[in-house]
Amino acid sequence: MSPPHRVNPQPLSLSPRQPKDPTTTKMARINFSVLTILSVILLLPVLSLSFSPDSPSDRRLLVLFDDLSLKSSHSIFFNSLKSRGFDLDFKLADDPKLALQRYGQYLYDGLILFSPSIERFGGALDLAAVLDFVDSGHDLIIAADSSASDLIKSVATECGVDFDEDPSALVIDHRSYAVVGTEGDHTLIAADDFIESDVLLGENKIELKVRVLNVYGFWIKQAPVLYKGIAHSLNAANNLVLKVLSASPAAYSANPSSKLSSPPSLTGSSISLVSVVQARNNARIMITGSLDLFSNRFFRSSIQKAGSPKKYDKSGNEQFVAELSKWVFHERGHLKAVNLRHNKAGETDEPAMYRIKDDLDFSVEIYEWSGKSWEPYVANDVQVQFYMMSPYVLKTLSNDKKGLYHTSFKVPDVYGVFQFKVEYNRLGYTSLLLSKQIPVRPFKHNEYERFITAAFPYYGASFTMMAGFFIFSFVYLYHK
Amino acid sequence: MARTTSSDAQALFHSLRSAYTSTPTSLKIIDLYVCFAVFTAIIQVVYMAVVGSFPFNSFLSGVLSCVGTAVLAVCLRIQVNKENKEFKDLAPERAFADFVLCNLVLHLVIMNFLG
Amino acid sequence: MARNRGRFLVLIAAALIFSSALASSIFQPISDSHRSAALELFNPLGGSFSSVEKTYEELRTFEVLGIDKRSDISTAACQSVSEILGSSSSTLKDLFYALKVNGILQCGIKEDVFEGVASRLQAIVGGASALLDFYYSVGGLVLIKGQTSKDDLYLADAEGVFRSIKLWTTLAWNSPTLSRALLGLVADVALSQSDGRWRYNSNNPESSTFAAGLALEALAGIVSLSSSEINQSLISTTKNDILKLFDGIEKYDDGAFYFDEKLVGAREHQGALSTTSSVVRGLTAFAAVTSGSLNLPSGKILGLAKFFLGIGIPGDAKDLFNQVDSLAFLESNTVSIPLILSLPATVLSLTKKDALKVKVNTVLGSNAPPLTVNLLQVLRSGSKDTSLIESQELKFDPENAVYTLDALPKSVDVGKYTFVFEMVLHDSDHKNLYATGGQIRIPIFVTGVIEVDSAEIAVLDSDLGSIETKKKIDLAGENTVSLSANHLQKLRLSFQLSTPLGHAFKPHQAILKLTHETKVEHMFVMGSSGKQFEIILDFLGQVEKFFYLSGRYNVQLAVGDAVMENSFLKAIGHVDLDLPAPPEKAPQPPAQPLDPNLIYGPKAEIAHIFRAPEKLPPKKLSLTFLGLTLLPFLGFLVGLLRLGVNLKNFPSSSVPAVFATLFHLGIAAVLSLYMLFWLKLDLFTTLKALGFLGAFLMFVGHRILSHLASSSSKLKSA
Repeated sequence: MSPPHRVNPQPLSLSPRQPKDPTTTKMARINFSVLTILSVILLLPVLSLSFSPDSPSDRRLLVLFDDLSLKSSHSIFFNSLKSRGFDLDFKLADDPKLALQRYGQYLYDGLILFSPSIERFGGALDLAAVLDFVDSGHDLIIAADSSASDLIKSVATECGVDFDEDPSALVIDHRSYAVVGTEGDHTLIAADDFIESDVLLGENKIELKVRVLNVYGFWIKQAPVLYKGIAHSLNAANNLVLKVLSASPAAYSANPSSKLSSPPSLTGSSISLVSVVQARNNARIMITGSLDLFSNRFFRSSIQKAGSPKKYDKSGNEQFVAELSKWVFHERGHLKAVNLRHNKAGETDEPAMYRIKDDLDFSVEIYEWSGKSWEPYVANDVQVQFYMMSPYVLKTLSNDKKGLYHTSFKVPDVYGVFQFKVEYNRLGYTSLLLSKQIPVRPFKHNEYERFITAAFPYYGASFTMMAGFFIFSFVYLYHK
Repeated sequence: MARTTSSDAQALFHSLRSAYTSTPTSLKIIDLYVCFAVFTAIIQVVYMAVVGSFPFNSFLSGVLSCVGTAVLAVCLRIQVNKENKEFKDLAPERAFADFVLCNLVLHLVIMNFLG
Repeated sequence: MARNRGRFLVLIAAALIFSSALASSIFQPISDSHRSAALELFNPLGGSFSSVEKTYEELRTFEVLGIDKRSDISTAACQSVSEILGSSSSTLKDLFYALKVNGILQCGIKEDVFEGVASRLQAIVGGASALLDFYYSVGGLVLIKGQTSKDDLYLADAEGVFRSIKLWTTLAWNSPTLSRALLGLVADVALSQSDGRWRYNSNNPESSTFAAGLALEALAGIVSLSSSEINQSLISTTKNDILKLFDGIEKYDDGAFYFDEKLVGAREHQGALSTTSSVVRGLTAFAAVTSGSLNLPSGKILGLAKFFLGIGIPGDAKDLFNQVDSLAFLESNTVSIPLILSLPATVLSLTKKDALKVKVNTVLGSNAPPLTVNLLQVLRSGSKDTSLIESQELKFDPENAVYTLDALPKSVDVGKYTFVFEMVLHDSDHKNLYATGGQIRIPIFVTGVIEVDSAEIAVLDSDLGSIETKKKIDLAGENTVSLSANHLQKLRLSFQLSTPLGHAFKPHQAILKLTHETKVEHMFVMGSSGKQFEIILDFLGQVEKFFYLSGRYNVQLAVGDAVMENSFLKAIGHVDLDLPAPPEKAPQPPAQPLDPNLIYGPKAEIAHIFRAPEKLPPKKLSLTFLGLTLLPFLGFLVGLLRLGVNLKNFPSSSVPAVFATLFHLGIAAVLSLYMLFWLKLDLFTTLKALGFLGAFLMFVGHRILSHLASSSSKLKSA
């Protein structure tokens, strides 16, 4: 189950009077017997049990294969998921009983498509169902290979990446291929152009234990990742999709066995090997053109990049895939912001309204889901806006390392209806968007400064006029 | 030519002055009162021109208090002037009562606005 | 995974004409990586396995792989074995596997326990109707027979076994077809199908290849248990069945054969691996107990071995067991023992003078019988016809058990080749015993350093063809060529490539890349004639393609090939292009993906700029003007004195005087109230007080003014 505040339809548990389950609605309509209602009510808690938000152990993944032997050849990956508390359901992609949801309720929290060549899913699953699954905030991993079908390619296209249209093209790299005695056509690539992001790849992507200075004096980061498969590119119009692992500048996508007649459609660093998408509803998607990336063979293989003297006993695949899957399944980088609070400086209660030029304290708590619990999130770039049509104040919050972010500022001398806005969009993190409305009023008439020295002449004039009036009225009345 | 003008002016001034001496003292008191108000107003305007309009409400009430006083006093003068036939049916006491009432209201407003 | 790879290969094969080179993959025999995988896979439960079946799988795998871990688990395993065998309520399956475990561990089970189990199994054999019952019980009996030392002890009770076997044979004899008979005999059911497959029991209409394997194993057990000769026609019909079964074998393009379960919706879906391994077990068991050849083509046996090896290292304990167990059976089978030819490296470097090495092993990695490996042909990939060399024999290095060809033939240049090998067994008896697979075609990449020469880049004038600027470039080093051209000119880039033997070389990747400042890329494939590579870019024809984007273009050249050891991607320099202004409706350059750092990341802070407080005049000035405003008031007072004001009109009589005083005091009070209002009171208090004062003032004002009015009118009238 995903972290608590994810978009997750829980209609059954929350609205017993309006069950969205079509069958129960129908039944209730036809026969409003006590028995029916009772059974519905009794059923509800049972169904909603699996949605316990703070227990990650019941996160259910559906894994679809072309061939069940993948279960064994990719077992390390699956075992690592299982050991992290996932409940995996392995099915053939053409299983006639496939379904992602039953009675409007999703049966799974994530979908892993390891079925590159499937032309048509079995059962109730189709392209639209997969996209609906993602649209409702669930996660997806797509692995294609050279046999990728149009169906898999169109799922990827909907997610914002385009696989090479040439069905026989593979990513070839004559410069940074993996040196293996029996692989001569340079389609087995040692890729190490990772995105710079701790949240996506984990903080210890630099394996500290094996951190070695190589002969060139560069810090060797992670061992390169073995990749064999097809290329894809990012859709330029979609800025939610990120290249996590790029090909080297010398790479290109072509058929290794036929002569190149026209320029390859994808070349160099614009080739993405592994991409991720974080949708606006925080659904996360990982797309790669290599199913072998996840295989035991690649996990266990040693790796030496062409032209590099360093030989790693183990490729970076296992760590890379494990870390990235942690991200995809919200074990990292999923934030929540709670307790947005503000008050006048020196007070503790939240006022209904501020006056211009008031000093105020603002605080919010931000936590990150670790897969098991909410841990304080520590960053120094969380900002708050005091916003009315445009931000009047934009301030970076300081934090106490325990998740509490705090700042104080003076209310601008403009009145109107303002908002406190926390907009936090960071690469790899779920976006936070909180706002709280608060009106700001001008000074009351009795709050202005009085007895100003500059106005003394006017005061004097007014009072002499009063005195003059008194004397005049007396003198005038009794003068004879 | 210039001499004639200045002498003419002198003659005019002189005749005005001699005519004014015949004005009743009570009216002169009013005139003095009006002059007092006008001068006070002028001084404030000069001050405002020197230091700027802040605080504007104080300036307004200060000046308007003078102007109001002057206007009310002029009204009183018109009403109590015996040579003014228009108000011959109006008792000067009644005019004075009006004057006092108006002044009291004026000062209330001024105080409220003075800040 | 194997199937997956198969698909991939199908695809390649479909796409290519000369795919044969790729289609024959290299299979490596079982190696140490299997051993470490086995230790890893079977370790998780720390020796205590959930079932005796798993224990057997572990022990068997370790046994085959030669890992000595027996002592670690023997105590616990033997204890559970003796429990199972001693209990009368243990299931048939558990009994079977317990006996198997005992077969490996030699737990020292007492003879009387075996006797009890044997009699129980015999009873089951007698009344069995389902295939699995037969399989387990017959298998169990065979195991007991193998594990008890005293044959006579066994014989004492053998009559029952015999009876059941006899029942089998007689009934089988009466059945119309033998395959049907072999089971129909027992329970009047036909579990065998005409295509060689079997059914699990009579109620299940689905036939299964997996079941066929089990049945063959059971039949082999019956044959070995029977004391008398089994009717030969029965055996030959079963052999026929086996051949039929092999007709349904499936094939990958890399030469691997396998069986797959065709039935859908079986109680337990068996994958290709377990199905194939079941058949292999049955086949080898049956072949072991029967005399005479099975007439199976040795290629299919080799294909089965290739299938198991092609799986690589399974990630699942059950799969690993199936693989290793089947390979062990294949290694010792009596039909034909597959020999696997493998190459440690298929990429040979001319620069490093790599020698061609070939290994021949059995499937489990042990040494092959004495044989010679011949390199028959070396074919250039793409041209199938002529071999580059004469057939030659590889030298055998007995120390490492490697066949080597010391130097590659002189005529072999860099490129992709297909090497054709053949194994010739020294002992003619072995020829029937071993499956060598005939001619073995293996793709070989011969790599080397390609010489890059006379590279130059030039800008040409379009009409005359005269050279405006020309620069030599060194494609081995760094270059920073700076050129400029307009749309009427041409850019020419040329270089030469030649192989170590001096032949022309055509790399797979020879691409010129122009990148505009805005990251818009243009690529051109370099054409060649002989060694000479040349491209002439006529900018006039390219303006549209270049989106009329003038400015600096970086020039990069990428040359690479699978067999080129010095593949490179070189920045050559840049060209400043001066292109005409775009006409209306010119195509827009494609959008480039946004840099994610622009989207994410903190925004610049904004601090509100407050309205500056009003400039206040100096205090002195204000006080001066305060003084000035008081001056007119003084002037007023002085003026009053100058006018000579008097107060003669003040009423002289006491009552009006009091009213007059009160009136003026009232006015003073109201004005003081105003002062207070200004200082601290609010409007409501003020107005309340003002109401009272006003009423009072009206009263006294009226009294004094009417008094004055009457006195003045009196004066007038007087």
